[in-house]
Amino acid sequence: MSSKERIRQCLNHEQPDQLPIDFGSSFITGVHCSVVAELRQHYGLEPRPVKVCEPYQMLGEVEADLLDVMGLDVQPIFPNRTIFGFPNENWKPWITPWGQEVLVSEHFKTTTDKAGNTYIYPEGDTDVPASGHMPKTGYFFDTIERIHPDYDEDDLKIEENLEEFGLMSAEEESYWKQQAEIYSSCDRAVSTHLNGTCLGDIALVPGPFLKDPKGVRGVADWYMTVADEPEFVMELFDRQAEIALQNMAKLKAIAGDVIDVVVVCGTDFGTQESTFCSDATMREIWLPRYKKINNWIHENTHWKTFKHSCGAIEPLLETVIDCGFDIINPVQCSAKGMDPQTLKDRYGDRLTFWGGGVNTQKTLPFGTPEEVRKEVLERCEIFAPGGGFVFNAIHNVQALTPIKNMIAMIEAVKEYNGN
Amino acid sequence: MSTLEDLKTAVINGKRKDVKVIVPELLESGVEPTSLLQDALIPAMAIVGERFKNNEVFVPEMLVSARAMKQAMAIIEPKLLEAGISPEYTAIIGTVEGDLHDIGKNLVATMWKGTGFDVIDLGVNVPAAKFLEAIDEYKPQIVGLSTLLTTTMPAMKETVAAIRNAGHSKVMILIGGAPITQSYADEIGADGFSKDAGSAVDIAKTTLGIA
Repeated sequence: MSSKERIRQCLNHEQPDQLPIDFGSSFITGVHCSVVAELRQHYGLEPRPVKVCEPYQMLGEVEADLLDVMGLDVQPIFPNRTIFGFPNENWKPWITPWGQEVLVSEHFKTTTDKAGNTYIYPEGDTDVPASGHMPKTGYFFDTIERIHPDYDEDDLKIEENLEEFGLMSAEEESYWKQQAEIYSSCDRAVSTHLNGTCLGDIALVPGPFLKDPKGVRGVADWYMTVADEPEFVMELFDRQAEIALQNMAKLKAIAGDVIDVVVVCGTDFGTQESTFCSDATMREIWLPRYKKINNWIHENTHWKTFKHSCGAIEPLLETVIDCGFDIINPVQCSAKGMDPQTLKDRYGDRLTFWGGGVNTQKTLPFGTPEEVRKEVLERCEIFAPGGGFVFNAIHNVQALTPIKNMIAMIEAVKEYNGN
Repeated sequence: MSTLEDLKTAVINGKRKDVKVIVPELLESGVEPTSLLQDALIPAMAIVGERFKNNEVFVPEMLVSARAMKQAMAIIEPKLLEAGISPEYTAIIGTVEGDLHDIGKNLVATMWKGTGFDVIDLGVNVPAAKFLEAIDEYKPQIVGLSTLLTTTMPAMKETVAAIRNAGHSKVMILIGGAPITQSYADEIGADGFSKDAGSAVDIAKTTLGIA
C-alpha cells in the first residue's frame, strides 16, 4: 500500500495497513531546523545545511531522503511565499544565533541590534520597519506589531484588514502549475496550506508579510475587536471567504487531483486551561464562514479539510465537526479536558486526529527516551484503531528537543506498526 | 447621575466609553478616588477574574474589561497620587529572557493592578539582571515570571536562581505560562504557580498572607 493510499484510507476512518506518520508536511506539524539537522546526522544522511522552509518558526525542510528513512507518509507543497512575504528561492547560507549553518531564501534579510536580537523584514525590504523579531536567546521569530498611526479603534475599515486577501497572482498560478507537475505522481499523500482561508489566525493578523499594514494589527486589539465589534469581524470573514472560494476553484483546476489534504485554518480556539471564546460565539462568528469554505471543498474536490487549534478545545469539537472539518490538529492532550480516550470515544468516528502523538511541552523535550516510548505507544493504542489518526507530535517539534527522544518517538511508532 | 454600581458594571462589561463619562461624573459629585478604586474597580475586576476562572468569559472579554479599568485608572491614579495614597503592595512582572509572548503576562499584570497592587511591568524578553535591578529599585513583595515556550523554561529557572542568589529571600516569586506546572514551580524554587490570570490574584494574596 502506498503512503497516499494509506493516508486516504486513514482519513476515511478505515483501518490502514499501518499507522501513517507525518513530520514536516505543514507549518504546524513540522520540525525545528536544529532538530532536522540532528535527525539527518543520526540517520547518516548526506551532510548538508538544512533549508529553512518556514522562517517564522524556523522549521527545517524534511527532504526526500529524510522522509524515506523516517518512513513518513505526507509530502508538503508549501505556499509560494513565506509568512514574511518573500518566495523561498535562491538559497543562501545563514548562521543562526545559536550557531547553526542553515540555508535561507535570498530574500531572507536580517539585521541585528547591539543586544544581539535579530530582525527580519517583509518581502526582504530592509527600508521598511522589521516585521519579525528573534530574541538573542530565541530559536524563532515572533511578529512585531506595527500599529499604523492612523489606526482608530472607533473607526475600523474592512478594506484595511482585507489588504492581504486577493485573487491568485500570476506568480502563484505558475508556481502551482510547476508544483502540480512535480507531484502529480507522488506516492505520498500531498498536503498544502490554502491561501486566505485562515479566519483570524493570530500569527497572521499583524500582517508580517505586509510592508505597511493598516487596520487592526495588534494581537490584543484583535481579540478586543472580536468582543467589541463582532459585525466587523463577520463581514471581514465573509469577504475573505468569497475571495478564497474563487482561489480554491483556480487551485482545483491546476492541482485538484494532486492534493489530498488542505490546511484551512490555524486560528487557535484554546488556551492551556480553557477556550478563547464560547461555543455560541464560535457558532455565530466562525461556523457559517468555515462551513461555506468546507462545503465548497467537499462538493467540488476529494480534499480533506484540516483545522489546527491548540489548547483545551474539547467543548468546541462538535462545532468544529459542524463546520465541516475532517481533521483536527494538534490534539493538545496536555490541555484541560483533552483526554485521548475521551476524544477518541466521542469524536473518533467523525474527526481524524492529526497529532496528539506525544506531549511536546513535557515528555518529548524533558522526558527520558523510555517515557517517550511509553507515551507514544499508549497514544497509538488509543487513537489508531479504525483509522482516523495520523501520527504527529503535538505541534512542531521545538528546538532543544533531545535527539534520543526524537528517535525514541519514531522507533515507538515503528514498534507499534510491527516493524 | 451615575453611581459606583454603574462604574462597576461598565468595567465588567468592558464599556470603556461609559467609563470615560462615569469616572469624571463621580469625581465631580464628590466621590473619593479611593472609593472609586475600592468600591467599584477592584470588585469589578474580582468578578471578571472569577468569571474567567469559571469559563463564563474568555480572553477577549477580559481584555476589554482590562482596557476599561485602565481607562478609569488613567483618570484616578493622578488623583490618588495627589492625595498621597499609594498601593500597599508592589509587584514586578515580565516574560523571561528569550520569550516575547505577553498576553498572559499582561492579563496577570492587569488583574494584580485590579486588586490594588502597584504593578511594574518590565515587558518581554527580560534578562535576570533586569529583574534584579528592578527588585532593588522598587522593593516589590512579588515578582511574576512568565513564559509560553519550553525553550525558555531554563531562563525562568535561571532567573529564580539569580533572585535567590542575590539574597532576595523575602520576595515572593510567582510563575506562570502554558507549560508551567506546580511541580515545575517546586523544582525551581518558586513560591507559587498560577494556571490562569484569574487565579493569579488568589495565589498572590495567599502568598502575601492577605487572602
